[in-house]
Amino acid sequence: MPSLSYSTAARIATRELRSSPGKFTFVLLSVAIGVAALTGVRGFSASFRSMLLLRARSIMAADIAARMSEAPTPSQQSALAKLPGLDETTVTEMLSMASSSTSLDPLLVALKAVDPAKYPFYGNVVLQPAIPLQQALTDSTVAVGDDLLLRLHLKLGDKIKLGNSTFRIAAVVTDEPDRLTGTFAAGPRILISQQALAATGLLAPGSRATRRLLFKLETTKAEPASDARVADLRNQLETILPASTISDYREANPSITRALDGATGLLSLMSLVALVLGAVGVAMAMRAHLQQRLDTIAIMKSLGAGSSQIIRIYLLQTLLLGLGGALLGLALGMGVQLTLPLFLARLLHLTPGFRLDANAALLGLGAGLLTTLLFTLPPLLDIRNVRPILILRRAVENEDSAFFTRAARHLRGSGLQLLATALILIGLAALAATVSDSRQVGLTFAIGLLIALLVLLGAAALTLWLLRLFLNTTRRQLPSTLRHGLANLYRPGNPSAALLAALGLGVMQIAAVSMVQRSIVGEMQATTAAKLPNLFLIDIASDEVAGVRALLATQPTVQGTPEIAPVVSARLTAINSIPTAELHLKHMPRRALNSLELTWPPTPSTPPPGDRVVSGQWWTAQQSAAAAQHPLVAIEHAQATRLNLRVGDHITFEAEDQAIPATVAALYEADSQHAFSRADFILPAPALRGLPVTWYGGLHCDPTATGQLRRVLYQHYPTITVIDVAATVETVRQVLLQITYVIQFLAAFSTFAGIVILASAIAGTRYRRIREVVVLKTLGATRPRIAAIFSIEFAVLGLIAALIGLLFANALARILLLRVFHFDYHLEWTWNLAALVITAALTVAAGWLASHRVLGQKPLEVLREE
Amino acid sequence: MLPHSAPSNQSPIIAVEGLRKSLRTGSTTVDILRGLDFTIARGEFVAIMGASGSGKSTLLGLLAGLDNPTAGNVRWQGTAISYLPENELAQLRGRTIGFVFQSYQLIPTLTSLENVLLPYELNSDTGGRRAGLARAQQLLTSVGLNARFDHYPVQLSGGEQQRVALARAFMLRPPIVLADEPTGNLDSHNGEHVLNLLLELNRAEGTTLVLVTHDPTLAAHAGRRILLRDGEIVAQETGEQQHNLQGIAPIVPQAEA
Repeated sequence: MPSLSYSTAARIATRELRSSPGKFTFVLLSVAIGVAALTGVRGFSASFRSMLLLRARSIMAADIAARMSEAPTPSQQSALAKLPGLDETTVTEMLSMASSSTSLDPLLVALKAVDPAKYPFYGNVVLQPAIPLQQALTDSTVAVGDDLLLRLHLKLGDKIKLGNSTFRIAAVVTDEPDRLTGTFAAGPRILISQQALAATGLLAPGSRATRRLLFKLETTKAEPASDARVADLRNQLETILPASTISDYREANPSITRALDGATGLLSLMSLVALVLGAVGVAMAMRAHLQQRLDTIAIMKSLGAGSSQIIRIYLLQTLLLGLGGALLGLALGMGVQLTLPLFLARLLHLTPGFRLDANAALLGLGAGLLTTLLFTLPPLLDIRNVRPILILRRAVENEDSAFFTRAARHLRGSGLQLLATALILIGLAALAATVSDSRQVGLTFAIGLLIALLVLLGAAALTLWLLRLFLNTTRRQLPSTLRHGLANLYRPGNPSAALLAALGLGVMQIAAVSMVQRSIVGEMQATTAAKLPNLFLIDIASDEVAGVRALLATQPTVQGTPEIAPVVSARLTAINSIPTAELHLKHMPRRALNSLELTWPPTPSTPPPGDRVVSGQWWTAQQSAAAAQHPLVAIEHAQATRLNLRVGDHITFEAEDQAIPATVAALYEADSQHAFSRADFILPAPALRGLPVTWYGGLHCDPTATGQLRRVLYQHYPTITVIDVAATVETVRQVLLQITYVIQFLAAFSTFAGIVILASAIAGTRYRRIREVVVLKTLGATRPRIAAIFSIEFAVLGLIAALIGLLFANALARILLLRVFHFDYHLEWTWNLAALVITAALTVAAGWLASHRVLGQKPLEVLREE
Repeated sequence: MLPHSAPSNQSPIIAVEGLRKSLRTGSTTVDILRGLDFTIARGEFVAIMGASGSGKSTLLGLLAGLDNPTAGNVRWQGTAISYLPENELAQLRGRTIGFVFQSYQLIPTLTSLENVLLPYELNSDTGGRRAGLARAQQLLTSVGLNARFDHYPVQLSGGEQQRVALARAFMLRPPIVLADEPTGNLDSHNGEHVLNLLLELNRAEGTTLVLVTHDPTLAAHAGRRILLRDGEIVAQETGEQQHNLQGIAPIVPQAEA
């Protein structure tokens, strides 16, 4: 079979590229912006994610922690040692008595023993003076909380006695990374090295010490270990240490985890959207281009060229365009990534370590090429349907074009086209899976996209049909400009339905991203604006509560109302009538069942602040009132999982020798940032009436004035321990704020990219208009009149596309927010209305911009070419 | 399938058998060609005449295998071509038919030399570009365009563009050349020049020439004239006497059927 040599095909392909650079700029730009958005968003999100994850981990000082009351057995030790790529360190926490070497006045203190060579894996211990931890914690020195100095009338360099040993106070501890997740104990804190603790003799067998094993997965790069590896390790640890309570960094701060999950999901979504929008742009531009080339194709066919030979030419052209666009996009994306840190550093005080990732670059390049190829496949295959007779027919004024379009349409339904569609879907699914790192997401995305596209096409066709019905019935009454503008939508060869679907798809995706972003950012802003407790008060006696409240009310540095939660100590004696001694417990030391903490909520019928029901129903005021007879209990979700409890189960507590049989009414999640997070079991107040109570307080204090407030509290209530987590809470707030900024920035970036691509898709229709303008001009139409006709056409296109797109965007955002991201969805009328108007305005603007040169076309230039 | 390995000189190079073409627009069917039968002998120069709407362009499309008939068949050198698969037909057409169109139909992004060379590149097995190049240059020179090898179509006048198209039509030494109003877009001086070149090339290459036109003076040069009206052959005439035809041929084009 004779065939066109590749060099000839390439010559024709490149010659065409050079002959009309303006047209191909659209294709190049579409690919480039798609690829730029993809690499930009991806590279950006990767850098940010790793930075934010590091900060999230610093709240726990580790990837995973296992809390246990006994030291691991030798067999457990050796099993742990066998886990590969794992670093481990132990934190021992216990209560003890300390005394100044001069006064001998004993004081209850919270000892925290660490290995200063390893602890903490993430974050920093802030000491005053700023010396390294290894220098502060030696065999003869410790670091202490400033309240210890206050209470024992000591200063830096003085000595204190712990057990058998005497230590010099080398530093004051201002902040530890795991303060929020460690044990909150009464008494001032002392940081000591494990070796020194051993020397004190305090750690006798049977002493009540809590051990936290901290684990860090070893990684080669700056990036922390993936969630999958952490989850994997967690499973292994649960097997090796069955009696321990294991938590990973994601549980350290639920609001950060939630924000990160939302942000990650949104970022993947934005990458996918960038990808599809770029592809839509390419498809529209290439279709318009090939339509322009129908004559050339027909001539070549009449000269004996087979379809495959012609397809080869345009395939080469597509490849060149895809490659060029992808390279351009890559440069753009990297430029954004390189210049943005400068801007961010100044604005957000964020300096994420940006690096140019070869994988991300290859992905961008591949995605650009692949989408271009895939989406040009259908128009390329259409080349087969171009009949050479076209060259004669044009000469005889298209006398039966209807027949040919019909025939072409008929042929278009052939198997190869179906195959091409399947290929596009598979390709998209693969790309989406790569971009979002999940095969499931890829598949869902591709199928979702197909359905969305079909529905959009259907909706677009239906709308066009209705409009035509309207046009036909009102034809005579409409002003001629309006009539002509509307009639233009049905111009033969004008792919209005396809353009509408493409525009609608774009609007849908951009709007959906915007809505998801608004919801996530809105919630995070509410979280960061809320005055979360940053000082906790431990062991307030019942007769002190009123006084503490009154004192706090007079302090100008205290913001909002302090939360004061009652805590009742109780034992768990039976679950569903089975005595606890016979229960099989997993990840919970049996001893823990003897020291449970119960509380009641401040209001009778709602959960305490910071708690959210995840299963069952919170009790009503009536049920609460009847709780003395029929007690109900709400249990913290993780605790319920460990005890294997479900809603409807019956459990029996015992407090002060009084049995409290309760029915599980609800399971809740605590944000661990409120005073009520202290207790894992909540019962209605009447159920706990008369039992001995200690109180636990949480309040928000101006972060710069916590020291002063602590001194005031000590003066009035010297027995109350104050735990200052202001630094940690501030870290959380900062991280949340940074996430919102990043999300907002990237959303704006993708929106902008999307708008440019859609505008270029509209602009791609200009080549069909040239002839029309010429005919209108020859018939005496003025430039303003032609402009008005086109404006009406564009505005109607934009309005319909926006209407359909926004309709689907709301549906999509609702599903994503409620089902996937677990955030709230609200229909925002004004926002939608604004989006509608803006879309229409942008469509008209893009159309105008593209038609600007068309309007200036001299009739003769075009007519001579005929 | 080589074009010059045709059977004998006596068998017709083109045979049209019961050729019909109808178009359906909505519910109405329009018969463009109502069953044509004729043959053209090797080396003959035939003009197909008729007014606009008489069906002559449709006939040309079918003769060239650019379109499928509703019924009947067209044979080139004995081979029935009307129902061949697209690619096979394209190859056969490339080697059998040379085209000259009213609106030149040059590829705008290729130079005149490249345009002339294109059929060779599309149809040559050997890919020996040098032989093709020599032939293309010789053809362009023979139509007086030796100074215009590297010009693009837009840089040429209408007459020059049509001369490039002529050179392209003869590039592969096709046994048949179909010309559709080859002078229709040209002024009388240029038209005459192009026509003379066409006839010269035709004589030199020994090609069968089928000319579609509504212009009787052009048709007068043909050895035989076939007159179409409403999709039927209403007259055939040989020789140089065209007086009768002049009377029959409608000067004012009729409305489309």
